[in-house]
Amino acid sequence: MARIGEASAPVATSDALARGRLRASLVPDLLVEARRIVSTVIAGWHGRKKRGIGENFWQFRPYVQGEAMARIDWRRSARDDHTYVRDREWEAAHTVWLWADLSPSMLFKSKSATVSKESRALVLAFALAELLSRSGERIAWPGLTDPFSARNGAERLASHLAQAVSLPAKPDLSGIRRFSDIVIIGDFLDPVEETMAWLDTLARHGARAHLIEVADPAEESFPYAGRTEFTDPETGEKLTAGRAEQLSEAYRNLYAARREELAAWCKRLGWSYTVNHTDRLASDALVHVHMALTAEGHGPGGRR
Amino acid sequence: MSWLPLSFGFPVVLWGLLALPVIWWLLRLTPPKPQAEIFPPLKILARVFKKEEMPHQSPWWLTLLRLLMAALVVLALAEPIFNPREKLSTSEAALAMVIDNGWTSAPDWSLRVATAERLIKDAEVNEAPILLAFTAEKPNTQIGPYSAREARERLNAIKPRPVPTDRPAVYARVANTLKELPGATIAILTDGLAAKDDQTSFATLLGQNPRNVVWVQPTRLDTIALASADNEVDRFTITAVRAPSNPAPAYLTAGVFDDKARRIGDAAITFRPGEARATGEIIVPFELRNDFSWIALDGQGHAGAMRVLDENAKRRRVGLLSQTPVDQSRLLLSPLYYIKRALEPFADMVEPASPDLIEAVPDLLAQKPAVIVMGDVGTLPESVRAPLIKWMDEGGTLVRFASSRLITAGNDPDLLPVSLRLGERLLGGSLSWTEPQPVAQFPSTGPFADLPAPSEVTVSRQVLAEPTPDLVDKTWAVLADGTPLVTADRRGKGMVVLFHIAPQATWSNLPISGSFVEMLRRIVQLSRNQGASGARAESPVATLAPYRMIGADGYLAPPDGDTKPLQVGGGHVPAITLDNPPGMYGSEEGVFAHNLLESDAVLDPLQRPQISVPVMSERYALDESRDMKAPLLAVAAALLFVDGLIVLWLGGMFNRRRRATQAATAAMVALIVASSLLMFMPVASAQDSKPGDIQAIDAISKTRIAYVLTGEASIDAISRAGITGLTKFLVEKTALEPGEPAGVDIAKDELAFYPLIYWPIDPAAPMPSEAAIARIDEYMKEGGTVLFDTRDQFANGIGTDSASPATERLRDILGNLNVPPLEPVPADHVLTKAFFILPEFPGRFNGSPLWVEASLDAENTDNRPVRTGDGVTPIMITANDLAGAWAIDENGDPMLPTVPSDPMQRVYALRAGVNIIMYMLTGNYKSDQVHVPALLERLGQ
Repeated sequence: MARIGEASAPVATSDALARGRLRASLVPDLLVEARRIVSTVIAGWHGRKKRGIGENFWQFRPYVQGEAMARIDWRRSARDDHTYVRDREWEAAHTVWLWADLSPSMLFKSKSATVSKESRALVLAFALAELLSRSGERIAWPGLTDPFSARNGAERLASHLAQAVSLPAKPDLSGIRRFSDIVIIGDFLDPVEETMAWLDTLARHGARAHLIEVADPAEESFPYAGRTEFTDPETGEKLTAGRAEQLSEAYRNLYAARREELAAWCKRLGWSYTVNHTDRLASDALVHVHMALTAEGHGPGGRR
Repeated sequence: MSWLPLSFGFPVVLWGLLALPVIWWLLRLTPPKPQAEIFPPLKILARVFKKEEMPHQSPWWLTLLRLLMAALVVLALAEPIFNPREKLSTSEAALAMVIDNGWTSAPDWSLRVATAERLIKDAEVNEAPILLAFTAEKPNTQIGPYSAREARERLNAIKPRPVPTDRPAVYARVANTLKELPGATIAILTDGLAAKDDQTSFATLLGQNPRNVVWVQPTRLDTIALASADNEVDRFTITAVRAPSNPAPAYLTAGVFDDKARRIGDAAITFRPGEARATGEIIVPFELRNDFSWIALDGQGHAGAMRVLDENAKRRRVGLLSQTPVDQSRLLLSPLYYIKRALEPFADMVEPASPDLIEAVPDLLAQKPAVIVMGDVGTLPESVRAPLIKWMDEGGTLVRFASSRLITAGNDPDLLPVSLRLGERLLGGSLSWTEPQPVAQFPSTGPFADLPAPSEVTVSRQVLAEPTPDLVDKTWAVLADGTPLVTADRRGKGMVVLFHIAPQATWSNLPISGSFVEMLRRIVQLSRNQGASGARAESPVATLAPYRMIGADGYLAPPDGDTKPLQVGGGHVPAITLDNPPGMYGSEEGVFAHNLLESDAVLDPLQRPQISVPVMSERYALDESRDMKAPLLAVAAALLFVDGLIVLWLGGMFNRRRRATQAATAAMVALIVASSLLMFMPVASAQDSKPGDIQAIDAISKTRIAYVLTGEASIDAISRAGITGLTKFLVEKTALEPGEPAGVDIAKDELAFYPLIYWPIDPAAPMPSEAAIARIDEYMKEGGTVLFDTRDQFANGIGTDSASPATERLRDILGNLNVPPLEPVPADHVLTKAFFILPEFPGRFNGSPLWVEASLDAENTDNRPVRTGDGVTPIMITANDLAGAWAIDENGDPMLPTVPSDPMQRVYALRAGVNIIMYMLTGNYKSDQVHVPALLERLGQ
């Protein structure tokens, strides 16, 4: 029986240089593809004319019960019987952090998938970088670059990635401040508690996170049967199942429970959680995250 | 393997155990190489693994199980035998087994059977014929030679018998048979009890040149049996015997039971060491002793441990004295007649040979009676007075009756309980105003206290007692006016009782009442026997039916079919034989105890005779050698099953979600079951068809009217045409559509299929045989009806008594049948209303009545238009030639003219036929129709 899943690239976790080269060789292709994908969603991205935090007047709007009294524009309100609030145009420069998990487990690609998870994650990251750069946002890669604003943000990010000697498995997220967005692309296969503990810094700092889970269909459906030896690509741990099909139901339950728990946690924090399968198009996730990023306002209650 | 009682038939096979390590290695190798897969969410999978992990090798305990299975199979193939026993060397010529199945063999009979089976098994190897004889069976029973299988069957069919063995006869018979089988092995399975003529019987048996002898004897004769049970004056003594060689002390109890098997007494019996006889005593009141029915030793399961008691232990001898010689022509006036009749059921009567008192009294006293009844004795001669008084002092009971002689004899304080007024009292005579006196309630002090007062008894004459102060104490029964009827007084250990009336029915009707019997029974029960008297040769021979038998296991049982009535009396003691096993003979009223052991019996152990040929001594024991092959294989098979279950379980067979697998399994099981069913089905429905089935199915698939084939072609043709015509008419007029007419041969054909058989009587036809008439009789009894038609209404001369030949023939036929009382069809009979309303039943002729079974009661006809009654007449007789009127040809035209030629008569004839058929098929249904108006009326409300 042919194997179902494989590592899409030679497993060389320790060899940082090799990884760098590999990544560099991948980046141009990814950029092209990222541009192609972005062009499909670029419409509607023009014009940042919206209310938000800024200096210039944007609009008067009727006061809604529950808003702070300090925000009422008394001068305007005195002119008639209604009470008005003055909105300002959003002017603050926005920082969006991008991070993709590049651990060995992301190299996994099953037969039914079109690309490996790492490939998909990088495509999504570069596509977002391209999008955000074009609209003038500051982008950054935690642990790699500080926020910067450039027209060719994706290329610069790619070159940084290619030159990086070693990347931490989980970057330090404490530098990410309030009013920042962070897009985290990974497979989130670690135990939920660990993931939550890692991301808890973001929640405490008031940053808004957008989690994109890149999942291989084989991981989700568990199509294995018969006597199978499973190997963890990160730790090299092995498990042999006499009859793998017996495990599938319990495994699927656990897998789905992990995803649901994580998604619920994100929803509670006002974050978005997107699942992208490697046998589907990357645009699905891109559109979804785009909508989450442009959702009105920060904090809870934001439209997804 | 000396440390274990185990031996192997094929020890070489045990080398196969060396293969176990190889099997172990093979078992360890089994898991296949797994498919290697990279799997990033391994941590999630690992959490699942904790619950359902199957290592890549089978678990050690499963390996152990399989190794054990293999080891068991190897061991089983080596044919191990647990507790191997010594093979008994038996001759190839024959094995002759003589087995004692007398009463002592009952407790351990299964041991004896097991020993015998071992011998049979050994003989089976040689295929030697087996002679099997049992010494307590009748000598003429079958002894073989048998094959081993037959011998086993025979052995298992035999049970121990509650009778002594009869070695001489049985051994002689075996010896006779052995003459033709020289060189046989003789196996003697004794019960260890010596019997008479043992020496000669063993000599007979062993004189047949046996090759060797197997002598089986119980290790010890520990049988304890009851030898006697004596009812003494104040106690009941039980004697038990055992073998004198028995050195151990023994303590045992004996229980005494009444006839309802209630235990009413116990006795402890102690054998001191070496003692062969021991006694136990039961001290209970004699009233209770009279209820003793049998004694049984506790814990001794054989016939000798039970002793039944009969009236000898409690039956009293009663002497009868009378001075009036018995006048056979005036028997009812004899003074002793009623006394005898009253005492007969429960006492032995002793009568002196001569009526002369001087001879009679000593004669009686010599027989030591418990009671002497004096019917009409007045004065006793001096010479016999003293012995009689002495007898009373020692415990005798004298019962006297008043008589004219007593009155004339005068008072006698020694032989009368009270002093009497001389003269008798007459009540209710022609010169008296007084009425005959009834008997009052019995005084509560006397022995009759619990008897009901006889209300029907009156006394018209009596003797009166002098009113003394102690009269009341001595009075056992009084009349309504307080005068004593029965008085009694102690005399030493005995007593004297006086009935103040005569023993005949002349003075009172007490002697012919039931109370008299009860009173005498009480008195006799109060008395006690004065010692045993020898069996009297002149006692009559009685034949007593078996009542309750002592079984071989020491329990009472109803007699079986083999038990024959017992001849008792005639001066000889009946022997214990298979025809008369021990037990009670007689009936509920009185039994004769037929006991196994005489009172002087001894239980001597059997000594082994000197035998010249090789002897192998054995003991009775169960065959303890066990062939372990089958159990080991069974265990291995069970382990295989368990292993299969485990494999299925590990394979997730019992996981409920595996519907597909389950369905496949279910389908497989169903397939196996179905195929096995298919295999067995043809066997189950094997050929059960019989010849004649098709005819029978034809006969019953439609209602068919039958006619008797007389043998005369013309008559049969008319019958057939007649029934055909009737059938056609029935189809036209009624809902009934009968099938083709059926001609039956009453001698051969099954008649039960037809509701009605039409029988034209033809004097020319041959008379049916006895068997055929018997068949007709049975048919009628089972509910069929025969319609006899003599067809000769106008053949007789009018007004003459002469019968036509057909009538004569009918009479001949009916002479052999059980014909119920007959009557012409009454006007209100169901037949007249069954379908058409018909006043008469004409055929081709008119005028002959239709005879049917007489209805039981014709009285209940008040409001009913029709006669009620269950059942259908089994017989109808007419002379009107019904078939002739019904007969039609193929065109439907009538074949024969009616007489007189009236078309309506033919219609009426057909209607009569319809009524008959309807009556046959619906029975008294029509008579129930009278209720219809009432029912309709109720329904309307």
